[in-house]
Amino acid sequence: MHPILAYRGRLGAYLVAWVPLAAWLATALHQSAGYEWLEASVLALPLAVLYAFICLAAWYPCRAASPRLVPLARIVATQAVAAGLSAMLWLFLADTWAVFLEQVPRFATMGARFPTAVPVLLAGGVILYALAAAIHYLLMALEETRRAQTQALELEVLAREAELRALRAQIDPHFLFNSLNSISALIGGEPRAAREMCIKLADFLRESLRVGTAPSIPLAQEVALAERYLAIEQARFGARLRTEWAIAPDVQACPVPPLLLQPLVENAVLHGIAASVGGGCVRVAARRSGEMVRIEVENPADADAPPPSEPGLGLANVRSRLAATFGPAAALEVRQSAGVFHVALAFPAATGRGN
Amino acid sequence: MASGASNPLRVAIVDDEALARALLREYLAALPDVEVVAECANGFEAVRAVAELTPELLLLDIQMPKLDGFEVLELIERDVAVIFVTAYDEHAIRAFEVHAVDYLLKPFPPERLAQALERARARLGQPHQAATAELVAAARPPGVPLARVLVREGSKVHVIPVEKLDLVEARDDYVCLRSGGREYRKQQTLASLAARLDPARFVRVHRSFVVNVERLGRIELYAKDSRIAILTDGSRIPLSRAGYARLRELL
Repeated sequence: MHPILAYRGRLGAYLVAWVPLAAWLATALHQSAGYEWLEASVLALPLAVLYAFICLAAWYPCRAASPRLVPLARIVATQAVAAGLSAMLWLFLADTWAVFLEQVPRFATMGARFPTAVPVLLAGGVILYALAAAIHYLLMALEETRRAQTQALELEVLAREAELRALRAQIDPHFLFNSLNSISALIGGEPRAAREMCIKLADFLRESLRVGTAPSIPLAQEVALAERYLAIEQARFGARLRTEWAIAPDVQACPVPPLLLQPLVENAVLHGIAASVGGGCVRVAARRSGEMVRIEVENPADADAPPPSEPGLGLANVRSRLAATFGPAAALEVRQSAGVFHVALAFPAATGRGN
Repeated sequence: MASGASNPLRVAIVDDEALARALLREYLAALPDVEVVAECANGFEAVRAVAELTPELLLLDIQMPKLDGFEVLELIERDVAVIFVTAYDEHAIRAFEVHAVDYLLKPFPPERLAQALERARARLGQPHQAATAELVAAARPPGVPLARVLVREGSKVHVIPVEKLDLVEARDDYVCLRSGGREYRKQQTLASLAARLDPARFVRVHRSFVVNVERLGRIELYAKDSRIAILTDGSRIPLSRAGYARLRELL
């Protein structure tokens, strides 16, 4: 987007700024080329207007010789060439205009005296072009700053949102209250188990608060967190919850966004175990598949039961964090068949984008 | 049905978590004049226990698989005092509307349970307003139409998804639901049930009939001004003038 043409206000201001420049040009022609005021004005003003528009094209060389990408020597060279070319074009147009003016009897001799005007016009052309180029560079720099600011703000908003969601996920109140109630229940008959569960709960909460702030953690750590979570839920559900783990050794070190697995496992327990009278098995598997890591979480699903009221909340969060970290290379798939609800994640194994 | 010092209070515990049940049992063991007549791990067991063992008080969890605590209450149709025991506080208002004796938030100290039990004894010792199925059904959160209708037959619970519900007919003080060739009775008025069904699928076509529009075969003119609807299974139901108007609007 052209920094001047794209904004009507700026174009107006730009053209207005050329009025004194036109006057300056007329003065120069009058003084050095010996034109009378009227002749000088008639020659200068249209030429100034013309050059004003020609100088708008300075944007192209400015963009090509951008100070961020190109060494100074190259900038100077490019702009010098551009200035020279514009000035010569302008000179050519000026000559044509002068010859045309000869048609008017009052200005009959302007064409013949034109050569005296050449140095002024050439010098003027180069100077005016340089001015235009400087203005374009300035406007481009302003644009750049503004864009950088907006981007920084957007990123911060996204990061805040993710943090908030992560916090909310960690301090799920129902999980907390039910776990505390379970501990209370164990104290009477099994005080050792109660103490163990207390510690497991504290460890889980502490760990999830800690990893929530990191940009990424090794998959092994994420799995350990999910294991801790399921161990706590095991006390609540007893025989209704069975767990199976199949984590391949070659994916243990792969970096993943924190709390990626956690919402999936929570969902599995909520919809697969808590919602089922007899319970079932929650399976978590992670393996390497070429360049990708594949993680799968399965839980029993009741084909008759109505689908959960918020099917996508936790999954939507996971999906957007996967996309933010790995881009289009990451995928999340959900399917239900033969009484099993299946969530599969896939993402590149090596490094996350922009870590 | 007064319960005083000589008769222990008959209590049933309903919670899907074994540890939570164990904790309640432990708390109750420390209180005088309490007898735990049943421990139920889900709503179906609870309905059966109430029908067969006649407890006076239920300690009822809300979040349970398949049937939640309120649905259990809706099915019971007996005068049983209820204390809700749950980790979720968002159901408190609804609990109040169904005249629950108390609402305990897990985890709570044993004194809190003792207090709730005293309230229950006081309530049972006096004439009071029972929570009828009608009341419980009416106290549902508004806005969400029923996805299934629950019916109790003796100790058994039938869950009828609304897609399989053909017809509801009003009889005396209950309604008769027809689904899959069978008939079920439910202690509820036609008006209150119709209010909970999705109006885009179920229409009150007559003072005594609500019909599932997918079961409509055709409509015939019966006499000069009255019409009948013939359903896909061949049965005929009368349409009132207002009912016919409602059908026309929908279709």
